[in-house]
Amino acid sequence: MKSRFGVRGVLAMALGAGLLVGAPSPIAAAEDDGFHVPVEYYKLPNGLRVTLSPDHNSPTICLAVYYRIGFRIEPRDRTGFAHLFEHMMFQGSRNLGKMEFIKLVQQNGGVLNGSTRFDFTNYFEILPANKLETALWAEADRMSGLAVTEENLKNQQGVVGNEVKVNVLNRPYGGFPWLDMPQYANTNWYNAHNFYGDLKDIESAKLDEVQSFFKTYYAPNNASLVVVGDFEPAQARQWIAKYFGGIKAEDVPPIPDLTEPKQEHEKRATKMDPLAKKPALAIAYHMPERNTPEYYAMGLLSELLLDGDDSLLHQELVQKKGFTGNVSGGINLLGTPWNYSGPMLFIANLVYDSSTPPDTILQSIDGVMDSLRTKPVDQKTLDRMLVKGRSAIYDTIGSAGGFGLADLLASFALFDDNPARVNSIIQDYEKVTPALIQKTAQEYLRPENRTILLLQPQQAQSAAAAPAKQ
Amino acid sequence: MIRMMKNGSALRKAVLLLATAGLACLMCLALHAQEKETPPAGGPPKPFTIPAHETYTLPNGLKVTLVPYGNIPKATLVLAIRAGNINEPSQIRGIADITGELLKEGTASLSARELAEAAANMGSSLGVQVDEDETTLDMDVLSEDAPAAVKLLADVIEHPKLPESELPRLKATMLRRIAVAKTQPGLLAEARFRKILYGDHPYGEILPAEDDVNRMTIEDARKFYAANFGAGRAHLYVAGKFHSAEMKKGIAAAFASWPRGSAVVENIPKPKAEHVLQTIDRPGAPQSTIYLGLPVPNATDPNTVPLVVMNALLGGSFGSRITTNIREQKGYTYSPFSQISRRYHDAYWAEVADVTTAHTGDSLKEIFAEIHRLQNAPPSAEELRGIQNYLSGLFLIQNSTRNALIGQLRFVDFQGLPEDYLKTYVQKINAVTPVEVQKLAAQYIKPEKMSIVVVGDSAKIAEQLVPYSSGVAAK
Repeated sequence: MKSRFGVRGVLAMALGAGLLVGAPSPIAAAEDDGFHVPVEYYKLPNGLRVTLSPDHNSPTICLAVYYRIGFRIEPRDRTGFAHLFEHMMFQGSRNLGKMEFIKLVQQNGGVLNGSTRFDFTNYFEILPANKLETALWAEADRMSGLAVTEENLKNQQGVVGNEVKVNVLNRPYGGFPWLDMPQYANTNWYNAHNFYGDLKDIESAKLDEVQSFFKTYYAPNNASLVVVGDFEPAQARQWIAKYFGGIKAEDVPPIPDLTEPKQEHEKRATKMDPLAKKPALAIAYHMPERNTPEYYAMGLLSELLLDGDDSLLHQELVQKKGFTGNVSGGINLLGTPWNYSGPMLFIANLVYDSSTPPDTILQSIDGVMDSLRTKPVDQKTLDRMLVKGRSAIYDTIGSAGGFGLADLLASFALFDDNPARVNSIIQDYEKVTPALIQKTAQEYLRPENRTILLLQPQQAQSAAAAPAKQ
Repeated sequence: MIRMMKNGSALRKAVLLLATAGLACLMCLALHAQEKETPPAGGPPKPFTIPAHETYTLPNGLKVTLVPYGNIPKATLVLAIRAGNINEPSQIRGIADITGELLKEGTASLSARELAEAAANMGSSLGVQVDEDETTLDMDVLSEDAPAAVKLLADVIEHPKLPESELPRLKATMLRRIAVAKTQPGLLAEARFRKILYGDHPYGEILPAEDDVNRMTIEDARKFYAANFGAGRAHLYVAGKFHSAEMKKGIAAAFASWPRGSAVVENIPKPKAEHVLQTIDRPGAPQSTIYLGLPVPNATDPNTVPLVVMNALLGGSFGSRITTNIREQKGYTYSPFSQISRRYHDAYWAEVADVTTAHTGDSLKEIFAEIHRLQNAPPSAEELRGIQNYLSGLFLIQNSTRNALIGQLRFVDFQGLPEDYLKTYVQKINAVTPVEVQKLAAQYIKPEKMSIVVVGDSAKIAEQLVPYSSGVAAK
């Protein structure tokens, strides 16, 4: 089963792996088990990216549609808007009234969801295989146009307000560190604002803003569609052409400049949490740029540092020192190492007892990081990271009724125009060497490149006191 | 027992959208009313049968189930042992959890670190979960390592070191987790609800007392292990891609020397079904956490599957009545749901919702109104058909991964259900009638027998709760 850690930090894509030619060839992970994901990829004339991956093990299908609009680039005076908008996509389209979309999926035996992330918003359904055409029709219907009212918007503003309360405001460690850390560690507004949104901004959203957001970003040429599961690709192509072919392409604005300046000094911040009884600590390092060899090495470093009871931070902070029962974290806490495109953080976090000074814990973490910077890992350790990495990829591919695979394919199509990369991940991993691991640790796991966020319990006057930045 | 959230893990579902069916928006549809298209119905359903599996018993009583499945080169191993919180002595609640943690601290021949690295070298970690009734060990390994994983699991369960040196650290971790759990409104509500229903029965204590934890010694853990672990109380499941003959041979060899152990002693509770309202003050809380419900027939009852249908229609699905009402019509809440929560031959129904403080009373009113509406009139055939289709389709998804398959088979084995339970499940779902749903709601979901727990800002909700207070029959 899954590792106890929420995120199995894994690898990333490495187009740049060519730089590593000449590396000693690794071993165990080179086992060829013959596993291969079928990938058919093409584009409709309107620009819609389509990826088909049949698998006949279970009589179910997963349909996923990803739009290249994440919370990073939402309007500046409307924090939380991308997510609020996601809710509106369930409120009505040309042929489906409020909540009829959900009813349609459910009454056909399926489940569905939507989520908003750094660089995309997605919508997906898992259904019995014979309902693929129904699902394609419905997703095409809402890609064609929204039909929502003031009343729908007001209702969803209430729902989203309650979502923020239940996930952030009324719980200890609410937003820690997944929502907080980007705000402390990043400096570019696009990466550093409150993605869930200030309640005030959420409440201020207007219906015409909803419509114009849709027109701007929800176009076929800004989307990636994936079908995974028990279906015939030739038939699926016909339906996709029929239902999506007539939707007009739009001029989509270019992605703004998302770059983060290089961090030169360690940052440290304290967040007071009136609902927490135990302090917590998070530490975040800026990641190497996506698709570079170092980026890939960071994927394996994440395996080495955080994944499983054998990991270095678990051994040091849990097993040896007993500071905590669990170290969590990974690359991209709101997703996976693959499903984003832009600056990203590698984060580790833990809850500990007030009797332990945080600097004692940081010293231990420094010890682990220093060891990686001063000498290369041995081959046995690298082999273990590779096995864990391969296993984790298979878990992703096999998860959740095909959705894990759909997420990989949709992201690779949307960000790299190449979903077939799902089949080269493992080979790309194997190009990482102990020397590259060391070099990456030296460049990225250094104190100047990190932000430390300490969460301190605060005597509560009121549970509603919003956790304040300091 | 300690099901508190690992820091951060559950938060990643932050933007999960739980949506539900509601009334069509009349204004926006008027424009296109005449030209509206009907969704394509799709083709005939593809046939589905539960993947073939084989179950047998070793001479020492260990049950084994093998399920060849899928094309991904991995195998999932789950070893479930009937040793849970229910077997704990009363002064040391939580000893099952501590014993579970100790299993990861090494064997006669492997240190904790060597054990962790051995599992990692197979592409897995060793998971140990402890719940009310069972301790479960699991590994999810690359196919080529499945035989080695069998040996490792056998070593852990037959020759655990249970080292005294690690006990202080594990106790400190448990105390920390209890402290964190007690700040989470959802856990506080559930813990109180359980206490009301089950009293001093082990099911009534989901958070052990700090005193119990402090009191634990390594002898307690070793005694717990000796008294409750044994092949006769265990069932090993393997699902995925593996070589069956080789696997059988490996299992027989690795587990042959595991003693049978003592028999399971059943301790089925008699949960309370009477109207109680209790609040837990959380000053300033922007939401109230509602946990309400009552005991219902357990999994061996002939009404089990019909109750699943009734629950999905009332509050247990995206399009259910309660969710439609308090989320999509009123906007009081984000993720309300109802469930049938099960333990060994025990079950309760509960509705759980975090609602805006100002609408705490309104939310209760609407929840009870929906219950009464279902008790007073059968659902339309169309509404019920939608729910039946949903559950029939969900059954396919529930059998589509290694873990999910093991989960289904475990449920049947654990509850001692007839062999054809899964085979006839969909048929039973679809045989339920509208009148039956109404009757089940009337017979089992009685507001006047419900325990209601509300965690919220007492100053703001006390008055709203007056109509539901103990002594006043819930309306």
